[in-house]
Amino acid sequence: MLAFAARRLAVSLALVWVVATLVFLVIHMIPGDPAELLLAQGGVAPDPALVADLRERLGLDQPLWTQYATYMGGLLQGDFGLSLQDEHAVADEIALRLPRTLELVATAGLLSVLIGLPAGVLAGLRAGQLTDRILSGIAALALSIPVFVIGTLAVLLLAQKLRLVSAGGYVPFATDPLRHIGLLLMPAGTIAFGLAAVVLRVTRGAVLEVLEREHVRAARARGLPAGAIIRRHVLRNSLTPVVTVVALHLGALLGGTVLVEFVFNWPGLSGYLVRSVEARDYPEVMGIVLVVSAIFVLLNFLVDMLYAVIDPRVRQG
Amino acid sequence: MRRSLRRLVLPAGLLGLILLLALAAPLLPLADPVRQNIAGRLALPSANFWLGQDEYGRDVLSRILWGARVSLSVALAATIIAAVIGTLLGILGGYFRKFVELVTVRLAEVVLCFPPMLLALLVVTLLGPGAGTLVVSLGILFAPAFACLAYAETLSARALDYVTAQQALGAGPGRILLRTLLPNIAPPLIVQFSLTVASAMVLESGLSFLGLGVVPPSPSWGLMIRGARATMEQAPLLLFWPCLALAGTVLVLNLFCDRLRDALDPRAGGGGPAGFLRRAAALPGPALRKDATPGLLRIRGLTLEITGPRGPVAVVRDVGFSVAPGKTLALVGESGSGKTLTGLAVMGLLPGAVRVASGEILYTSRDGATRDLLRLPEAELRALRGRDLSMVFQDPSSSLNPLLRIGSQVAEALPRAPGRMARVVELFRQVGLPDPEGRARAWPHALSGGQRQRVMIAAAIANHPRLLLADEPTTALDVTVQAQILELLAGLKRSEQGMGMVFVTHNLAVVAQIADRVAVMYAGEVVEEGPVAEVFTAPRHPYTAALIAATPEGEAERLSAIPGAVPQAWAMPAGCRFAPRCSEARPACAQTAPPLQSIGPGRATRCLRWKELA
Ligand code: SF4
Repeated sequence: MLAFAARRLAVSLALVWVVATLVFLVIHMIPGDPAELLLAQGGVAPDPALVADLRERLGLDQPLWTQYATYMGGLLQGDFGLSLQDEHAVADEIALRLPRTLELVATAGLLSVLIGLPAGVLAGLRAGQLTDRILSGIAALALSIPVFVIGTLAVLLLAQKLRLVSAGGYVPFATDPLRHIGLLLMPAGTIAFGLAAVVLRVTRGAVLEVLEREHVRAARARGLPAGAIIRRHVLRNSLTPVVTVVALHLGALLGGTVLVEFVFNWPGLSGYLVRSVEARDYPEVMGIVLVVSAIFVLLNFLVDMLYAVIDPRVRQG
Repeated sequence: MRRSLRRLVLPAGLLGLILLLALAAPLLPLADPVRQNIAGRLALPSANFWLGQDEYGRDVLSRILWGARVSLSVALAATIIAAVIGTLLGILGGYFRKFVELVTVRLAEVVLCFPPMLLALLVVTLLGPGAGTLVVSLGILFAPAFACLAYAETLSARALDYVTAQQALGAGPGRILLRTLLPNIAPPLIVQFSLTVASAMVLESGLSFLGLGVVPPSPSWGLMIRGARATMEQAPLLLFWPCLALAGTVLVLNLFCDRLRDALDPRAGGGGPAGFLRRAAALPGPALRKDATPGLLRIRGLTLEITGPRGPVAVVRDVGFSVAPGKTLALVGESGSGKTLTGLAVMGLLPGAVRVASGEILYTSRDGATRDLLRLPEAELRALRGRDLSMVFQDPSSSLNPLLRIGSQVAEALPRAPGRMARVVELFRQVGLPDPEGRARAWPHALSGGQRQRVMIAAAIANHPRLLLADEPTTALDVTVQAQILELLAGLKRSEQGMGMVFVTHNLAVVAQIADRVAVMYAGEVVEEGPVAEVFTAPRHPYTAALIAATPEGEAERLSAIPGAVPQAWAMPAGCRFAPRCSEARPACAQTAPPLQSIGPGRATRCLRWKELA
């Protein structure tokens, strides 16, 4: 098990390094000079002196490999550089905002599993019957409504028409825990709406597939009652694909909370990213993309570990 | 028309309508989607403006339809780019492997490491917002999924016979890739294509909603929602229309994909209900049969059907045989002869697609009562399974749940009581597993195939069953292990007093070794039944005779030496089902279906000319 974990960890670290290098290369290989691009907004040719100054400040006048070494060295010390707009340390801003986004994503993930998993098992066991049709129909609908549409409609309905909740915003947990959770639930629920539908579909498919497996038939041949078969031979075996899908979606959500954070004014990492993209603040964009990708890779690593817990065969692998 | 195709009509029609409206937008008498009219700000629907006017007084209907053009063309263009690039990379990687594979497929996998929205934003940072950027970034975003799919499909199609044959004929890789490989891997790619269009639309509208996609004043659904958000308290309708258009279009696309997938791959998605939750197989009528003479197992007139494209098709027809206590009956036949289904029918474990049409399976239990298993309610039949009736399956590796320890799975068969694990260990010792205590705690993957089959046998005999059904229990094993398992089963006949056995096999050598009686099945029918020694020395059916002639003395050989193949269930000959392959056939054979007739004490055959054969 330990050897397995170590091997997977090494692969994950290598992946993070590849991603970091790729981000670096993409930024530096695009046609045009980042400094020039940055200053050229509005289509006016920038002042060469300004460009030269910025190039020096960004270290762009150095050879590529020196820049790469500096960049990697910085990364190893947790230094993502300074923002071009206000010269704040990018790492500090990320450290401030990342927990908020993680909290949002984790809550959404939890909600969607709590709703989607039991509903999916039910739909799978009752496949083709009315229960299944209703549940699958709702899921198909939920999957088709983009998250920002759900969010905007939820704000319109719950906050503006019914005045049940406030339209969005953020209050630190330490200041007012109840209000914090209230504000968290709207965006988290919005994400969970679609994600629960995904979980439902995957769970339903997995249950249907496992029901057809021979070990289920063998268990029936031993005279096991339906309840025990579902509990011992269907549920746990259906879990593996569900874990994968939830993890992949949670990873994708780290960047995809952009829309929800925007709709609900949640000051997370994604809002920061949008602002950086608008301002073309390269150090910020690079830092955020890198951190999110690293978390994504880490998530995949955790999924592999979870597999090993679920399935004894993986541990040997 | 196939049902799955019929179900495709509705979403395809709606999709066509949406596309048509988007295409026809310039031809329709619509107001200019970008002309502002401040006087009509936020006006409600009117005769001139059917859906009302937006925050700049522009016609909402016109903007919705023109917006469909923008959204769909961005999504389509991006998807086409992604599909072409991705498929090309995937096919090349899958076909040439080695270095090409490394560059193409691994690159795609790295791109998949980025969350999609993040990647799109990264591209927008580099290129600035706009429709062109959107197409590029969405194209990059979705290409890897196509690459991975095409790669996997190519790998599996590459090994197919005709691809290898073309290579052998000297066709160049270009020709093979385009003419042979691509059509073969097209169906999953088509599904992926329509899925991607839907995802691309969602991402495009999302980016436009953020103000990083389509640049105003061009109409786009995402932009319209963004604009309507500011005034949604006064004019909620304004928000409603683009939301409806966007969600509706995505819903239609998703529905189209689902149905398309079902139509292209009939196996997927159709999923029937879990058979054992609602066993449809029980026939009407009383199960308890006071009149019947007790015996262990007597099957009469068993007919099993599946639903074919043109009505029900009998896969097992009028099968009958009996098993006496302590005796072993071998059920012999080629694969597809219906012998496994017959065994499953006794257990009540038929797959959901197979229906019992008629017949009876009489079983006399320990209390002396005779019941018809086909008419027994599921709960009562379940009480018999694992206690009176048990079954050992063909493939021991898939018969064990990989996620549960072996001992705990075998213990399932035993009543809940202290000392259950001790009994499991004892059973393991009885079936000859080495280190029984250790094995009880082991995971299934730690055991060899032969050991797993011993475990399955241990579970089957845990409650001293009266009838053991063994469905080709040695087929999946090595030859030496086969002999050991046979020995174990033969030993059980001696140690388990009075246990009858049905041994399903295609191997005549095994029959001679283990069985007292034999029933030979062909194309869903029993063609001959009798004591093993008699049938082997004096077969009374040409099929049996051909089988015996095809089996080398004492060797375990597959039954394949008879020319021709078993007819398909839906294309059975009208007369004798063996006639097309029978060396003794006469014209009469093709007209009348011979009945199974008794030809002496304990012997029966289904041949018109059995007398001449003697
Ligand atoms: S009935 Fe005719 S065709 Fe059929 S097995 Fe007998 S001889 Fe052959």
